[in-house]
Amino acid sequence: MKLNAIVLAMTTAIAALALTGCGDDGENGAVGATGPAGQNGTNGQNGNDGRDHTAVNQWFTQGQATVANASETSVSDPKGRAKNIILFVGDGMGVSTLTAARIYQGQQRGESGEENRLSFETFPYSGLVKTYSSNQQTPDSAPTMSAIVSGVKTKDGIISVSDAAIRGNCTSGQGNEVMSALELAEIAGMSTGVVSTARLTHATPAATYSHSVERNWESDRDMPQAALDAGCHDIASQLIDFPYGDGIEVALGGGRSYFMPNTVTDPEYARAGRRNDGRNLTTEWTSKYSDGAYVWNREQFLAVDTSTTHHLLGLFENSHMQYEADRADDAAGEPSLAEMTSRALDVLKQNDKGYFLMVEAGRIDHAHHAGNASRALQDTVALSEAVRVAMEKADNDTLILVTADHSHVFTIAGYPVRGNPILGLVRGVDDSGEAAATYTTDSNGMPYTTLGYANGPGFGFGSDAMNTDSYRPDLNLYNVTDVDYRQEATVPMDSETHAGEDVAVYARGPGAQLVTGSVEQNLLFHVMNYAGDLAARAEANQN
Amino acid sequence: MKFSHSICALFTLLSCSTFAANDTQSLPVCPTTSHQLSHNDTFGVQYQLSGAQHGTLQLLRSQAQTAYYNPENGVAEWWNFAIADHPSFIRVFAKHQRRIDYYTGDLRTLNIKVSQAEMESFATAQLLKQLSHKGPATCDGSQVYEGDVKQMHYRVIWSDELGLPLELSITHNGQTKQWQAQKLIPANEVELTLSRWQQFSDTDYADIGDNETDPFLAQMINQGFVEHSEHAVYDSKGKPMHGEHIH
Repeated sequence: MKLNAIVLAMTTAIAALALTGCGDDGENGAVGATGPAGQNGTNGQNGNDGRDHTAVNQWFTQGQATVANASETSVSDPKGRAKNIILFVGDGMGVSTLTAARIYQGQQRGESGEENRLSFETFPYSGLVKTYSSNQQTPDSAPTMSAIVSGVKTKDGIISVSDAAIRGNCTSGQGNEVMSALELAEIAGMSTGVVSTARLTHATPAATYSHSVERNWESDRDMPQAALDAGCHDIASQLIDFPYGDGIEVALGGGRSYFMPNTVTDPEYARAGRRNDGRNLTTEWTSKYSDGAYVWNREQFLAVDTSTTHHLLGLFENSHMQYEADRADDAAGEPSLAEMTSRALDVLKQNDKGYFLMVEAGRIDHAHHAGNASRALQDTVALSEAVRVAMEKADNDTLILVTADHSHVFTIAGYPVRGNPILGLVRGVDDSGEAAATYTTDSNGMPYTTLGYANGPGFGFGSDAMNTDSYRPDLNLYNVTDVDYRQEATVPMDSETHAGEDVAVYARGPGAQLVTGSVEQNLLFHVMNYAGDLAARAEANQN
Repeated sequence: MKFSHSICALFTLLSCSTFAANDTQSLPVCPTTSHQLSHNDTFGVQYQLSGAQHGTLQLLRSQAQTAYYNPENGVAEWWNFAIADHPSFIRVFAKHQRRIDYYTGDLRTLNIKVSQAEMESFATAQLLKQLSHKGPATCDGSQVYEGDVKQMHYRVIWSDELGLPLELSITHNGQTKQWQAQKLIPANEVELTLSRWQQFSDTDYADIGDNETDPFLAQMINQGFVEHSEHAVYDSKGKPMHGEHIH
């Protein structure tokens, strides 16, 4: 995709906003059945019908129409009021996770917990988001984040390519790439940033800057030869080879080995990089950007002069970064999500044209998959702290959205007394409404925890003291509030799964009024696009 | 059951398979007679399990790396203690040329805590302290230890040079399992094996939840080779093995 493709789409689409999935050859952006024919690109080649998804893709057009409708009736902020946009995503942060984390954070401060509010729960607008993908009721992070940042729902496993593509089929995705808000922001001359505690090449951050029919194509080593031969590129290389604007300004997270050749040994671990193509993308970053820096530990990160460093790459782990609960124990030292957010904003705010920043708390999802609520909650609180930093640093001209890509089968159960430890066993109230003297028990007389999972690996701490009569462990024997404890699960599965119910979205700043009620996930892109007028700014900046 | 308390499962684990075992009782290898090995060398030892259970297990050591490999089912558990406080763990599926890599946070969520000394010593380093020294064994530099620990009777022929048992017998409820060192595996073979494993396609354990539709992962999960539990040891069908505690 080159800039001329975007111009082309904008001139051919019936709407002012038209973001294209055209190829990089300036193909004809022919539109849908009712639209006018597109003009030829610079090389004069005609494209295929439907390449301009902005006019024919149902997700895109419906989202666009919804925003247009709302803007005529209820929105008080005019289009383009937001100079900057910050998008926070808690990976797997369902509503039950928010509630539990809210209580957990309050109890960590010595309070009863229920009255606490996570930082973003103070935002003036909120809504519920439907997360299904175009082919699954319960999605993974690839189509959900693609929907959030591109306005188009797609199939599971696919990153910022429309669902015209087939997962894992390289050629099926070519020409069906959909443009992200971050890409538009770069074209508009804004500064951009991607921050994640997961690998930077993981599905959620990847959807902001790359296009792939397979989320697992994170390095060239992960790709089949046929895909490489067909011209598909791995996700890590797409970050470095990013073609828009003056390149992504800030990229902070994990996944170092995906950027290193297999001939180079990691500075923190005795492991080689995983790239087979010999490219060292970390050195390419500093070569490409004369004002760039690459760091891989917290000390280096804090030493970066953000007033002179305008392209900052930080890769703090071989794979995903540590859980927040374990971060202080990391040998090389890792920054917190709040620290990464803070310094990212220091870099991005220097651009008078504004910025787009995406911040992901990527490990909430992993802790839930492992059935380990404590780590999931601690990472959610870390996200809250990162949002708090943004609230302090961002001016009133900044739209801040906080949402999740999908939920988990995580539950808050029983009737615990107010203030009962959220990670603890359920202790109810007695006849007078005071805390009961004993724990609440199940039909076998066994206590249970407030938090649990509908499926997953279940009870932690091994199998030493399983109660063979009830087939439940006697939790009286365990410290269920320990960080390593794994909550029980109803359906035994290797890995706890995502859930299909709605997630929450919170908003503040210009355009935040559009975030209300029950919405499709792809609408969030259109909210950001409306608030920041990204497409128009991108178009204007090309002229 | 924390991992450090379940090392004995290794004895039943990877090799407690149903295949027909070679019942021929060979003498333990005497490494110093043909190789001048030391504890820190790269080498491997193949053990044969006989008695109540049968199986084969290879222990491969190279610097800070220790791997246990079951050649019958092609499953290996590979530890690297280069950073002692943060060991890395890889589960290898050689027949599928696939790996699952476990990072520090993964091991913590699984409550897996291992002792480098126990891993490197075939889980007998602590056991020896609880047994009585009975004198020298037939191989040079090897000693016999014997005693009862928690209703289990142990007999160990220990090689000081290798830091490994040449023979280990465990008797419980009248049944005896005997691990016997059968052959030494040369350094070049160990290095070749570890190098080959390094090239296998890998999946982060944390990413399994997003990739359960992967046919390989689905198969391994269904068979029990991959699970979110404290078990790191399986029989040939992937069934977690509950080993006896030795501490």
